[in-house]
Amino acid sequence: MGAPRTKEKNLWDLFITSPVAGPLATMIVIWVVFSLFVPHFASMRSVSGIINAATLTGMVTIGVTMLMISGEFDLSVGSLVAIGAYGFAFGTVFWHSPLLGIVLGLFIPAILGAINGLIFVGTGIPSFIVTLGTLYIYRGAVWLLSGGQLIQTLERPLVYQIFNGRLDVVNNLIPGANFRTSLLWLLGMTALFQYILTRTAYGNHVFAVGGNPLGALAQGVNVRRVKVINFIISGTLAGLTGILLFSQYRSVRVATGAGMELSAIAAAVVGGTLLTGGAGSIWGALLGALLISTLRTGVILMNIPFIPADNFEAVVGVTIIGAVILNNWLRSRG
Amino acid sequence: MDLKWNGEPPVVHMEGITKRFGSILALDNVDFTVERNQVMALLGDNGAGKSTLIKILTGVHKPTSGRIFFEGKEVNIESPKQARDLGIETVYQDLALVDLMSITRNFFLGRELVKHIGPLHWLDMHRMDAATREVLTDIGITVRSPRERVGKLSGGERQSVAIGRAMYFGAKLLILDEPTSALSVAETRRVLDHILEVKEKGLSVIFITHNVYHVYEVADAYTILRHGKKVGTYQRGELGVNDIAALITGEREK
Repeated sequence: MGAPRTKEKNLWDLFITSPVAGPLATMIVIWVVFSLFVPHFASMRSVSGIINAATLTGMVTIGVTMLMISGEFDLSVGSLVAIGAYGFAFGTVFWHSPLLGIVLGLFIPAILGAINGLIFVGTGIPSFIVTLGTLYIYRGAVWLLSGGQLIQTLERPLVYQIFNGRLDVVNNLIPGANFRTSLLWLLGMTALFQYILTRTAYGNHVFAVGGNPLGALAQGVNVRRVKVINFIISGTLAGLTGILLFSQYRSVRVATGAGMELSAIAAAVVGGTLLTGGAGSIWGALLGALLISTLRTGVILMNIPFIPADNFEAVVGVTIIGAVILNNWLRSRG
Repeated sequence: MDLKWNGEPPVVHMEGITKRFGSILALDNVDFTVERNQVMALLGDNGAGKSTLIKILTGVHKPTSGRIFFEGKEVNIESPKQARDLGIETVYQDLALVDLMSITRNFFLGRELVKHIGPLHWLDMHRMDAATREVLTDIGITVRSPRERVGKLSGGERQSVAIGRAMYFGAKLLILDEPTSALSVAETRRVLDHILEVKEKGLSVIFITHNVYHVYEVADAYTILRHGKKVGTYQRGELGVNDIAALITGEREK
């Protein structure tokens, strides 16, 4: 209070109070440590692998983060990814219509997201419970839609190349790189939603609704509307993730996307989003997804005897708790 | 139908307000009037019906029966937003501000200034910061930056920011819900000073409290509620502070 203003202090303040400070610091530390001690870690091949593995979770995390900042959870996104992928597959594989595929892949999850929101607003049941219910209901819908059958194709129409083909323009420039076009979609959506969150009146309402719903209501913010819109955003981005997923693997089965809801919440929290709402950032969430992916690759490459590759989840668990401790510490100082 | 007023109509006139929550009678045929440029204390013990009466005025609750006149015209206030559009600003004790957000973002919450080109629009942070800084200086709060988080302000500073916000947005009637109950003596003093400043600018104020000692010197009139019924309205000087306190608790009947 009343402290003299200096440029250095402001720059440091800006960093320390930024929601990205925690995940960025953790990221730098982990990359330095892995680069020094893990063989083959500091190669373009593993770097692009880490980024590719983070892309799909990252896309789901954007919507989940928006919703969490407004104080709500969406546990149904994993099921919605499968629905998005099936919708896209029906359009592109059976009817050979990219447009129909995109419409089905985005609109069905968007509508189901709206249903999440309306059940939540209409009944007043906590969103954690509502979407825990729809997690199973929507997975059941996947069974009905697909008849339990997987869809796969060997075709490579242009639409798959656009959503999740090889990014050869970049790969040809950097030896060993193996980036995919889904990265561009992810960066685009991150920029778009970060902009909405921090630069628009709607974003201001999202923070307020999560930070103090009654206060926001008293200032004339339509709390329910903001939350329903965020459920729709979360559903739509899960659908887009399904489209990216199918474009990459050209196959979808009933269990596709299962467990992504928890990865997304983990990424959001590691990325500095408050579990109780009111604070967070999309860039942070992206870093959170990248951080978890980095750990996975690093741990697998390290080949530690007591942490085999398929047991890296334990490491993720430790990171989640560690990252939240760090974020809370930064927040209390900022 | 509008009532006939002698001279200028009062800012707010509530008539025969009754409110039931199920079988509970929260308000029983209460009349309540706030004149222009008046500081009205609304007094009563916990559960007397103060908050219910104010929530009816601010569109949070609908009355079971009764009529509300704002500046002489009968109004139906359906939502907090509609109350605000009429010029009724409320500063709630706990829920006025969002702790995790900056002062500027709180200040313009729900009324953000935006710039736009076609359908693209974005927050005009520059103008909002400048306006917020000006108001903060006006009400005598020194902060490093209007982008500081509200959570870092003291209780008194938060009340002041909320009052400053109401004044900035051209409120005609400012409602303060227990503004001093959580404050230190010095901070209470400052909030009371702000209330007098608000009055000087021509606004009317409703000051809700159960503690008459906090409001006695700044109020022009006192309305006392007990068990959902109105005990009476008294002008400044009509009753001593201890008489009012006794009426609030019911130690003394009127």
